[in-house]
This record gives sequence, structure tokens and C-alpha cells, in this order.
Amino acid sequence: MGETPVIDVRGLTRHFPSGTALDGLTLEVAQGEVLALLGPNGAGKTTTVRLLNGVLEPDGGSATVLGYDPTADGDAIRARTGVLTESAGLDERLTARENLVFSGRIRGMTKADSGRRADDLLGVLAMGDRADLPVQGFSTGERKRVALARALLHNPEVLFLDEPTSGLDPAATREVVDLIARLATEEGRTVVLCTHFLPEAGRLADRMAVLDRGQLLAFGRPEELAAELWDGLAAEIDLGRPADERVLTATRSTQGVLDAEPIPEGLHVRVASREVLPAVVARLVETGMPVYASVPRPPTLEDVYFEVTSRAGVEITAEAA
Amino acid sequence: MAFVAPAWGPMRAVVAKDLTAVSRSKAVIIPMLAVPVLLLIVLPFVIGLAASGKGAVEGTGILDQVPGGLADEISSLPDNEQLVVLVNGYLLAPLFLIVPLMVSAVLAADAFAGEKERKTLEGLLHHPLSDRDLFLAKLATAYLPAVLVSWIGFVCFAIVSNGVAWPQVGRVFVPTKLWLVVILWIAPAVAATGLGIMVRVSARVRTSQEANQLGGAVILPLIFLAVGQSTGLLLVTPQIAIGVGVLLWAVALLLIRGGARKFTRNALATRL
Repeated sequence: MGETPVIDVRGLTRHFPSGTALDGLTLEVAQGEVLALLGPNGAGKTTTVRLLNGVLEPDGGSATVLGYDPTADGDAIRARTGVLTESAGLDERLTARENLVFSGRIRGMTKADSGRRADDLLGVLAMGDRADLPVQGFSTGERKRVALARALLHNPEVLFLDEPTSGLDPAATREVVDLIARLATEEGRTVVLCTHFLPEAGRLADRMAVLDRGQLLAFGRPEELAAELWDGLAAEIDLGRPADERVLTATRSTQGVLDAEPIPEGLHVRVASREVLPAVVARLVETGMPVYASVPRPPTLEDVYFEVTSRAGVEITAEAA
Repeated sequence: MAFVAPAWGPMRAVVAKDLTAVSRSKAVIIPMLAVPVLLLIVLPFVIGLAASGKGAVEGTGILDQVPGGLADEISSLPDNEQLVVLVNGYLLAPLFLIVPLMVSAVLAADAFAGEKERKTLEGLLHHPLSDRDLFLAKLATAYLPAVLVSWIGFVCFAIVSNGVAWPQVGRVFVPTKLWLVVILWIAPAVAATGLGIMVRVSARVRTSQEANQLGGAVILPLIFLAVGQSTGLLLVTPQIAIGVGVLLWAVALLLIRGGARKFTRNALATRL
């Protein structure tokens, strides 16, 4: 990853008549990095994307994207970024291809070049056979794919993707997630991913930023944040059935065990270090419990998100979860 | 601040896209073409048929309502030409102005408020086109077709008016000098005024329908005023018509300049 951040945000603040949307956001994103911008509705994710693309102006703080100030050099930024907005934002009266060619022409591409690129991308996103149909009849997932193709049309260096997989079926979701992963890892694109789908964020994100009502609750690598949130190492022990009180007592009394909770398949333990796990297993065997497996389970991005928001007292809606 | 040349290519792309989209929208196209057809083809045809071959208007009191110079000119014509020349050559000219006003207003509502309604505005704002160029492109989307439709409509009007009266008049009497002033000077000013009104209105509403309703509240009195003028009080001499045009251009430019100041990404995105 490059030393100079591609996105550098310092104390970015934006108020609306309805309230503060972003309050002193500070973070940076390196080249080729995927940042997951997480938070419930109204957290400030979309406002952040708009501010970083110079579509909104901040009330305080500063930012640079690809070395440009979004307020002063918005067009320079927008020429090198691709944005997938939450609503696909396609003109329904035009065909998928026409929407893409229009975008390309605004970006200074020739009609022929934009047409070729549009065909390639629509093909990659399994929309090739729908290219010349009006968007009006498209499903949400199809619109999302066309909008994603539009965001990629000009080979942007930085991608801002707001809910890229909402409305997609599982197969299409996997294809899009794979595509985003390829763009970041193989092509070195920087990606800011705003999403409610935490497993998707967990698979893609190098770092995560958790926002709530404009405040940054946490920013960093999931494993670093996990180390700050919890002591020791988490593991799951498969007993074939939920641990009962006797098992829990035996586990908790083992030296180095910090915590133990029952789960449907057995036991979730938190231990001071990896070396404690064999001792736990030995103790369980001594008590006559069959132990089928013992697997260290580092906290996922999802675990970190829920812990951060829970500690901050954030109400998580079903959609946000 | 250094002048930055407009990005003509991207601006042309915005205009072409908007017009392609509008051409596929029956709700926009049908009223936009129906009014010109009615006013510039059907009306002069019917009036021309009715007025052709009628007797002199002199002595009927009609000429008392028009300025002396025009009354003298009409009186000097053969009796069977007087009514058709007065009506199609002069009295319909102000009514014709409804066409540029309506076309520019309908297209401006679609170009400005319609982007919000269709939720396509944010996507557009994320493209590298300056606020000024985007505003100019949107203006052109509404303005150029309004003037073009007016001019093409006028050519149709001239053909119909001259054709229907040919048996009596036997010469081309439209365009008169007044018509030329109306077509080349006042119609573009009226289109700009309609555009200016809708630019201001569109900033306050969320749908093109609301824009048309609110804009209509401003534009309808103007239409009534225009219709009122067909009784011959103001717009019947080229000199006065030029003066009215100057006034309209001033109003239009003030409205558009005010609209341009408020047409910024920040202002637009704040209301998304």
C-alpha cells in the first residue's frame, strides 16, 4: 500500500437544517485498500461520500482525495472516482447501454469508446442481453448492475460503492463481491464500501469505520479493533450439544480461561492465549464430555461492529444488521 | 478567477440525453406538440377559411381597436383581404407566443425538477461537469427546442395562412414586419422568460408535475396577457413589439441569473 493516503479526512463536519450529519470525521484510506463505512441509517455514510466527491461542501474540517480538495477541485476528483449511489439513479427512459454511453460522454470519452466499454462491462455483469432494453422494465438487481457498470466505465482509481449488492440475488451478490475484491486486490483500486451487509464487508474490507449519527465510533483493522475490545483469543469447542452448567463450571475453572458461554453446538470460550486451549480440551475430556473439535475463532468484522455499536448504545435496526 | 472554457462535448451529451429521453415520454411530447399544432396550423386554417372572402372590416368597429397606422394599412387593402390579413397577419401574432413559453416551460420542468423526481440528479452530480456547464446544458435542453419548435411552427403557420387565403389574396402576406419581430426577437425572449420562471420554480419543488403546477400559476397570467393583446392593444406595431421584447429579455436574464446563482451542487445535494 502506498504511503500517501488516497483519501485523507481531517475533522470533516457537515450540518443540515435537520441536524448534524457528520461531526469531525477523521480517517484515511490507502491506495488499493477497501474501507467499509458502516453504520445504521442516518449515520453519515452517504454524506461522507458526497463530501469526498465535492458534491456537498463541508461546514468544517478538510479532506483530500487523490491529492485534490473536493471543494476546490471537485471535477478533478469526479473524473477519477466512480460512485455507485444507493438508488441506481439511471434514466428509465433510456436503455442500459444509453445510460452508460451518456455517462462516458460526460466524462469526455468518445461515443465509440464508451459503447465498447459499456458492452464489456454489461457482459461481465451478466447484463449483455439486456443492454438495449429500456431500464424501465429492469428489476432492482438489474438496475444495480447497470449502475455498477456506470461507476466502473471510466476505470476510476477510487470507487465509492453505496450498498452495491442490495437487491441482488445470492449468485449475483457473490459475483459482485468477487468483482470488487478483484478490483481492489488485482487492479489496486481503492474502494470505499458503504453497506449494511456485514458478511460482505467482512470479506472485502481491510479497514472498517463505524459511524453513528455523524460520529466516528471506531476506525481501524477489524483484528486491531477486536484486540482493543476484547482480551485474549476466542474459540469454539464442538461438544455436539450446548454446554450445560457442569461443563461451563469446569471450563471457567481452567487456568487462563477468561470467559465461557454456551452455544448450540457446544461452547464459546475466551482464553488468555492459544496455549490455553489444549488444557481446556483436556479438562472437558476429564469430565467425560466428548470433544469433536476445538477451533480458534477470531472475531469477525460483524462481531466488532456489533460490539462497538452496542458499547456506544446504538440501536441497530433489522436493516442495519 | 480565470475563465474556464465550457466543456462543449459533455454539455452536448447532456442535451442529447435529455432530448432523447423526452422524445420517449408521451406525457411530455403530446402536450408540447399539440399546442403548436392547434395554434399554428388548425387555428389559422379555420380562421383563414372563415375570414376569406368576407367583406371589409372597415366600418365594423374592429379597426377602432388597433393603432392608426395599422388601421390605415388594413383599410387600404381590397375589401375581401382585410379580415384575413388583419387576423392572420397581426392579431394571431401575440397568441403565437404561447408556443415558446409553453415548450420551454415544459422542457425546463423535465430537465431541472425531473432529475429530482427520477432520482437521477445525484448520479449526474457525481460526474465531472462544472455547475456552470451543467446549468448551461440544462438551459439549452429547454431553450433550443422551444425556439426551434416556434420557428418550425411559424413556417407551418405562414404556409397555412398564405395557402388558405391564396384564392382571395393571391400573394404572400405572412410574415408581416410584426411577425418577423415576434419570431426573431420576442419568441426567443418569451422562451427565455418561461425558462427563467421554471428554473426558479424547479429549485423549490421535487417533481416536474409540481414544477408545472407552480410554474403554471406564474405562466398562465402571462398567457392571458398575451391572449389579451390579440385584441390589438399593444403588440400590433413592430416598434412596440421590439420594446416589449427588450422588457422580456431583461426579465428573463434576471430570472436566469438568479437561478444560476442557486444552481450549485452543494445547494442541489443539500435538498436530495
